[in-house]
Amino acid sequence: MSEAVPTPQAENPDDGEVLHYPRDGGNEGPIVIANEFVDVVVRKVETRNGMRLEIYSPRRNACVRFDAVALDCLSYQEPEFITSLLARNPGP
Amino acid sequence: MATRPIGSGAEAELERIREGVPHGRFPAHVFNDQEIFDVEQERVFAKAWCFLAHESEIPNRGDYVTRYIANNNLIVARAESGEIHASLNMCRHRGNMMCKSEMGNASHFRCSYHGWVYKNSGELVGVPYMKEGYEGRLDKRDWGLIKVRTETYAGLVFGTLDPNAPPLDEYLGGFQFYLDLYLKQGSSGSEVHGPPDHWVTETDWKIAAENFSGDGYHTPVAHQFGFNLGYFASSGSTHSQGWAASIPGRGHGIGLGHTPGFPPFAGFPEELADEMRRSLSPEQVEVFSQTRTAVGTVFPNLSFLMQPFSIVPGEAGVRFVTMRLYHPIGPGRTEMYSWCLVPKDASEEYKREAYRAYTLAFAQAGTFEQDDLENWARVTRSAGSNMARDVEFPYVMGMDSVPDPDFPGPGHVVKPYVNDSNFRNLWSRWSDYMTGRE
Repeated sequence: MSEAVPTPQAENPDDGEVLHYPRDGGNEGPIVIANEFVDVVVRKVETRNGMRLEIYSPRRNACVRFDAVALDCLSYQEPEFITSLLARNPGP
Repeated sequence: MATRPIGSGAEAELERIREGVPHGRFPAHVFNDQEIFDVEQERVFAKAWCFLAHESEIPNRGDYVTRYIANNNLIVARAESGEIHASLNMCRHRGNMMCKSEMGNASHFRCSYHGWVYKNSGELVGVPYMKEGYEGRLDKRDWGLIKVRTETYAGLVFGTLDPNAPPLDEYLGGFQFYLDLYLKQGSSGSEVHGPPDHWVTETDWKIAAENFSGDGYHTPVAHQFGFNLGYFASSGSTHSQGWAASIPGRGHGIGLGHTPGFPPFAGFPEELADEMRRSLSPEQVEVFSQTRTAVGTVFPNLSFLMQPFSIVPGEAGVRFVTMRLYHPIGPGRTEMYSWCLVPKDASEEYKREAYRAYTLAFAQAGTFEQDDLENWARVTRSAGSNMARDVEFPYVMGMDSVPDPDFPGPGHVVKPYVNDSNFRNLWSRWSDYMTGRE
């Protein structure tokens, strides 16, 4: 079942969407990854010429889209990389 | 009734209790007493090595569980490096609880009050409005989560709040020989089968810890249905047979119940029994091939039990292992944690059967568990009554037992299985801690 959430500010995708995500987490995009601290919605977004992975944080109302190069780059980072991002901007 | 000493009289009373144990005397009231509970929190649980978790509960990076030592809630987490860390579950900023879930997976913990972010290993990494608010006055390196010292044995993670506590190996003092029966069933060791059952009981932790350090005496009476209906491979006429093994001066003890004619390792699948014969020492194989029931306690409050139990009455029993932690939350009140341990390499079919046998006998709704807690809750209530104030219990069973010269295992080992020897050792050690002699 889907449930409306506030319109994201970062980008406003076409119909279909980040506004609707499976309450059970889902397996075929959009899927929800959550722990006791935060929950995010992840889905594939098809652009005219290719594919991106969108990460949307409903509570924070923030959204980012990574292409394959960006995701590949993330795949070989150390865990410390994320730690350093959190150190730089933990977000209020 | 004598007037109860309060305050300064408590030290003298603890000394008297300690002196009584070797003579087979131990007072009733300690099993439900606010003052005793308060002293235990400071002198036993803040000093001893206390069980936190089994490594298989946090197998992957970022996995964590929350557990207690005394009244301190701790996060036990596997960091991104793979190392296990235990930290006080308290934000250093204003003291909020970081992890409210009992188990989860997270690379970083974020406080829900002001948003401080820590790595799962405990270092502080993120502080909102750091520049605007703190103007360089806060050094994040000084404000990580409070660390707790940990050590492991065969998958068991222990923690201690005492920086001067001896190493865990020394603390266990040879009891590892007996623990291996539960923890090294095969070359890959044991794992937990699911999360622990977890519930609150109106019983004192000490009653449970004593019972599980080898109380073979209660079984034919408290658990008579198991005998009478054919769930349990023992009989009233032979149930006293076996050994009581304890590690003097350490408090640990185990009862090893023996049924004449019971085949070695019966109740384990054959291939698993062969695996155990290979993974245990010849001395361990000799001891455990004669063992039907192995029920033991690591001082202060971690217990194990292994026995066969028939899923259908009259049919061959299935061996299972349960591990339990008796966490004291008040005088005469205990938070119980109960796990089923299975050999990591065993077939899925055996793991399922062992878990069925475990749940039939133990955990909240288990038949043996209910028998025990029904009795223990009443023992606890009696212990808290005014007239029990000056009452002592006899701990004189097996007082004159001579150590069995042919027994290949370590420690003080006596026959028969029905014996107070392990309990005298347990309460001597408890008294050592209570009087500051740990």
